[in-house]
Amino acid sequence: MRSFLYFVLFLLLAIIVTVLAAILGNEGAWYFAWLIGTTMIVLVSAAGGAMLDAHEEHLAQSQSGEQRPQS
Amino acid sequence: MNTFAIAQVIWWVLLGVLLMGLAVMVGMDMGVGAILRYVGRTDTERRVALNIIGPHWDGNQVWFILGGGAIFAAFPLIYATAFSGFYVVMLLLLWTMIMRPIGFEYRSRIDNPAWRNVWDWALVVSGAVPMIVFGAAFGNLFHGVPFHFDWDMTSYYTGSFLSLLNPFAVMAGVLSLSLSAMMGSLTVMSGAEGAPYQRARALAQIAGLVAIALFAIGGFWVHALPGYQLLSVPGLGVPQTPLQQTVGVGGSWLQNFGTHPLLWLAPLLGFTGMLGAVFAARAGRSHLGWWLGAGAWIGVIGSAGAALFPFMLPSSSDPSMSLTVWNSSSSELTLLWMIGFAAVFVPLILWYTSWAFWVMRGKVTEDAVVHDEHAY
Amino acid sequence: MINGTVVDLSRIQFAATALYHFLFVPLTLGLSFLLAAMETVYVTTGKPIYKQMAMFWSRLFMINFALGVATGLTMEFQFGTNWSFYSSFVGDIFGAPLAIEGLMAFFMESTFVGLMVFGWQRLSKGQHLAVTWLVALGSNLSALWILVANGFMQNPKGAAFDPITMRMHLTSFQQLIFSPDAQSKFVHTSIAGYVTGAVFVAGVSAFYMLRKRHMDLAKRSFRIAVLFGVLATIGVVTLGDALGFVDAKAQPTKLAAMEGLWRSEPAPMPFNVIAIPEQSEQRNIDAVQVPAVLSLLVTHSLTGTVPAIDTLEKRAEQRIENGIPAVEALKALSHDPQDASAMAQFDAHKADLGYGFLVQRYAPHLSEVTPSEIQKAAKDSIPPVAAVFWSFRAMVGMGLLMLAFFVLATLYSLRDRIQKKTWILKVAVWMIPVPFLADEAGWLVAELGRQPWTVYGVLPTWMSASTHSVGYMAFSLIGFVALYSVFIAVEMYLMVRAIRLGPPEHGGGDAERPLSRPTLAPRPVPAAPYGTKLEG
Repeated sequence: MRSFLYFVLFLLLAIIVTVLAAILGNEGAWYFAWLIGTTMIVLVSAAGGAMLDAHEEHLAQSQSGEQRPQS
Repeated sequence: MNTFAIAQVIWWVLLGVLLMGLAVMVGMDMGVGAILRYVGRTDTERRVALNIIGPHWDGNQVWFILGGGAIFAAFPLIYATAFSGFYVVMLLLLWTMIMRPIGFEYRSRIDNPAWRNVWDWALVVSGAVPMIVFGAAFGNLFHGVPFHFDWDMTSYYTGSFLSLLNPFAVMAGVLSLSLSAMMGSLTVMSGAEGAPYQRARALAQIAGLVAIALFAIGGFWVHALPGYQLLSVPGLGVPQTPLQQTVGVGGSWLQNFGTHPLLWLAPLLGFTGMLGAVFAARAGRSHLGWWLGAGAWIGVIGSAGAALFPFMLPSSSDPSMSLTVWNSSSSELTLLWMIGFAAVFVPLILWYTSWAFWVMRGKVTEDAVVHDEHAY
Repeated sequence: MINGTVVDLSRIQFAATALYHFLFVPLTLGLSFLLAAMETVYVTTGKPIYKQMAMFWSRLFMINFALGVATGLTMEFQFGTNWSFYSSFVGDIFGAPLAIEGLMAFFMESTFVGLMVFGWQRLSKGQHLAVTWLVALGSNLSALWILVANGFMQNPKGAAFDPITMRMHLTSFQQLIFSPDAQSKFVHTSIAGYVTGAVFVAGVSAFYMLRKRHMDLAKRSFRIAVLFGVLATIGVVTLGDALGFVDAKAQPTKLAAMEGLWRSEPAPMPFNVIAIPEQSEQRNIDAVQVPAVLSLLVTHSLTGTVPAIDTLEKRAEQRIENGIPAVEALKALSHDPQDASAMAQFDAHKADLGYGFLVQRYAPHLSEVTPSEIQKAAKDSIPPVAAVFWSFRAMVGMGLLMLAFFVLATLYSLRDRIQKKTWILKVAVWMIPVPFLADEAGWLVAELGRQPWTVYGVLPTWMSASTHSVGYMAFSLIGFVALYSVFIAVEMYLMVRAIRLGPPEHGGGDAERPLSRPTLAPRPVPAAPYGTKLEG
């Protein structure tokens, strides 16, 4: 029951956001583009940082795996 | 009254609220700046004082910016005429105000006594001068300001810089400074310990007593100044310019208090707040004192506004061109939109400002200031 | 009648203080979102290095932010002190976005910036991240409202002139905020700020990598910055093109000046890559042209044309002649608001009221206006071509340069080879001033290109100033120059010093850092100072 109520709540929120986004997209397409674009730029660059960490960890693991079993 | 007139009065009240917010919040920070070198004798003591308002001065300062923006939006004619008329005073206000953000942010970045001394003085000046100017500007309204308009509403200011520093205005300036010094002292009391606390406690009482005396003198003085009355206007809530009205000078600025005795509550609140704050400071109840001090500001600004209504910027050289609530406001549509925005955002601002103060609650210790690389 | 020297001095003061303010604003706009990106990684991955990054860059952010705030105060005052006629004429429309900026954006930004700096120990990770995002959102919303106001100056939408109150009044708030100029200027400016922040972070990180200092912090900051930068630069270039498209419709004189177009030509029109415009002779002394490109760029078709300066001057002459009766009717209405015939005359000519004002500069008594005065005023309606032409080219050139840089830097960074490519790291350091110059050039294109109007087609600049004496204006200008010179010297010194010092070497991690304030108030509760309204 509790999770169903949460489901309804989030569904309602999603509907409200969609309606607002549709209105904004109609009236101010540029503003809408800015919202989407900014979010995308921030998330992509953040993911780029996280990718570097994953890469380095992978590198460290494969090196330690090749050269010495345990440090 | 029609919608337009109601919107005009609402914006007059809202502007008052914003000015009160400015006086309370910016006044507190300015007060801390003005008394910085007195309450803090050592560098660490001064840093404690600065860090008490450190997380908040930036947000508080927006009351000032918002005040300017709101006058511009709601009463553009007042904004245009007053800001250009008070030119040199405005520059003084501006130049001292813009030293503040830099003083806060840069002062403690370099550990050199000469560097810090210079910025400390900058903070003292940028705390004291704007509060004097703020009060003096209000004081000048009761004398009227020498300005008039062309056929196309080009405004001309015909006075000199020195005429803005007349005795009444200076008294109002000192009143405003002493109130903010009192609020600054109470703020330091709430966050500091030891010697700065004791100095702030003594200063809060002195500043409060000075403010009480000046507010009382100001009341009698205003009573003696000739007031302005609207003799004829195109109507209330009718789009108009100051060229279309006539104004008489005579009687007293306290006439509004005679017709509406309830208005006496405003000066009463002012006196009660100041007196209460003095006693609260004496008893070491800094938070109670702070709230009473805020009440005092509301009372003082409320009294001035109530006395002047509906005048907002009386002209001394051509009284009929005085700016009032009715002839200097924006159009109905702008006022209504702005009421909507204010209704949503002012409560929101109060809410998150309170939250920010709640998060940063507690005493600021010397130890914490010295060891925190982010501290001012 | 306002003294011409006063107007010039007011313009110099405005340009100087606005350009100065605009040195700090774009960095705030971009760096705030970069801080948000870094902290987002910290909160999602839990790696302390990202917290250290967010803290280090926020120190630099604050040095810049302080001056942005301080110089912003000047701007808010200056409309009233130096441009009082402008302020009363359009305050009804122009003031509203400025007030909303305070209410909605600046308050949020400034309140949370205090928590962002002082709140690391007092807020949970999630709360602090939210605070950082709100600072970024607040600073950019701030830019939104300022550019809504500026968009109105570029293309007055949603307003009309009221001959009874002698000023403009709002007719549609929606038209004001959704005006294409406001929208396109906002996105272009905000994203230009992102580019500025990205170049700054990439450059400083490259500086550390070249010196092999703080490698962990520098590599990650560089990676995040170049990805942020490459996307933002693509955005800023495409949005700039779209802005040109909008300008072409709303402000033909600005476009003609940007492109150095003196004579009308049939489609497809050639594009002046480089030229030496000469205003007095109304021609380009020398020009390197590419055929057909202008039509493509500006109208996005091969058959489109844009009016050149000769056509625009002819149009201005007609509009001036039509505007003169409007101004005369307005004078009559000022003496008697009930004058019905004057009102009818005003209504018939009100579309060109601004052009009537334009010629009033040369003919204060409009009844005696001569054809040569009308011609002079029509010539005035063209902005300074060479300045706009070259600022535009400087801006575009620097934009493309940054695009090339970011593409290369992103490539090497993604391959994790950037620390070996010292040449590109050196370039990155040298790139730091470029976005700032490009931002300034963009301001010049937009605002010089708007001349001779403060509100395009409605209110001429020469009428907009306050009625001060030359002495006052010189006094204030000297004061600002003196004060601002000291400020920039101090700011640069502190910024360079903070960069040289770098982040604390011990790592600045969570546990060993002393608390800025005790986490719990030492006093008994209730401990909330002056902020208990909502709790109790």
